[in-house]
Amino acid sequence: MLTRLGDWLDERFGWRKVWASIFLRKIPHVNWAYTLGSATLFVAVLQIVTGILLTIYYVPTPDHAYDSVVYITTQVAAGWFIRGLHHWGASAMVILTVLHMLRTFFYGAYKFPREVTWSTGVILLLIVIGFGFTGYLLPWDQKAYWATTVGTEIAGVAPGIGPWIIRVARGGEELSAVTLARFFGAHVWVLPAALLTLLAVHLYLVIRIGITAAPKRDE
Amino acid sequence: MEPSTGEMTRRKFMSAAIASIGGLISAALGLPAIAYIISPALKKQVEDWVRLGAINKVELGTPTLFKTSIERQTGWITDQEEISAYVLTEDGQNYIAMSNICTHLGCRARWIEEQAQFFCPCHNGVFSKDGSVVSGPPPRPLDRFETKVEDGTLFIRKG
Repeated sequence: MLTRLGDWLDERFGWRKVWASIFLRKIPHVNWAYTLGSATLFVAVLQIVTGILLTIYYVPTPDHAYDSVVYITTQVAAGWFIRGLHHWGASAMVILTVLHMLRTFFYGAYKFPREVTWSTGVILLLIVIGFGFTGYLLPWDQKAYWATTVGTEIAGVAPGIGPWIIRVARGGEELSAVTLARFFGAHVWVLPAALLTLLAVHLYLVIRIGITAAPKRDE
Repeated sequence: MEPSTGEMTRRKFMSAAIASIGGLISAALGLPAIAYIISPALKKQVEDWVRLGAINKVELGTPTLFKTSIERQTGWITDQEEISAYVLTEDGQNYIAMSNICTHLGCRARWIEEQAQFFCPCHNGVFSKDGSVVSGPPPRPLDRFETKVEDGTLFIRKG
């Protein structure tokens, strides 16, 4: 029954070929360091799922943001769990992405023909950091407020355009409702759209080109 | 595809292991997620007696509108909620308090003095003075509150 349904769908979608080229492709003999990309992808999916769940209760305005976060953590069933996963997952994302990049770098896996995989990866790292920076403000507690004050102030030391960057990042002179709203918008719309687009390219290239073998001593 | 024999191959074992670990992780996230989504819906509000006003303001034989507001915690917001009730007494002894929320789709019904009926403007629901349906779409009479009188003051509670 299930096989027949699979056949029926395969005739139309050709999904078996897609499945085979994603999951049943040949890979060279590699080590555990090669799982860092998949680990990053796993945590990214976790962040997307828990992030979507958090938006069910979170409200990005100064008068409700903190209260809604407290409500999630203390009143909603498993809210502490969902928020906790998202909170720790954020750190895991940065750490795993960096480790994944280091592995690629030290194994020379960024070389021909994988330059585009590498450069999309570099942009993905920047996006992950962007997620971390914008997400940090959203609980709207003292730590969030002052960390973002400092963070945007740092951007302000850029020569010439510094003050302008601060104003654009904050949406004005100081941190305000405008800042919170635009950080939220960036965190849940702009960055996810960029992440998913580049991730699609990144993964397509991994599957199309295949992964590198660990370099040998005499290479 | 592997030829399907009853034997456990390395490939079959790995597939089974991946599927069960994947299932375990999905359940560990999925079940809390379901609880997370539905939990506010399951929270029962504790209903307390609400002070409505002095009983001598109730006119004999005519539904009299009382309005009061109570503090209510909804999510992370503490709000003033308006409570309106029509109070009717025929003998000055027994009081019935009716919600003015139309039982059809939740609009507010009001007492029309000239016709001596409740009228809901949304879909022309009409109720008689004790709240029973006269005409229109409402499926049941106006909801009633529990009532009690203490020292000449009328209290109601959601039943």
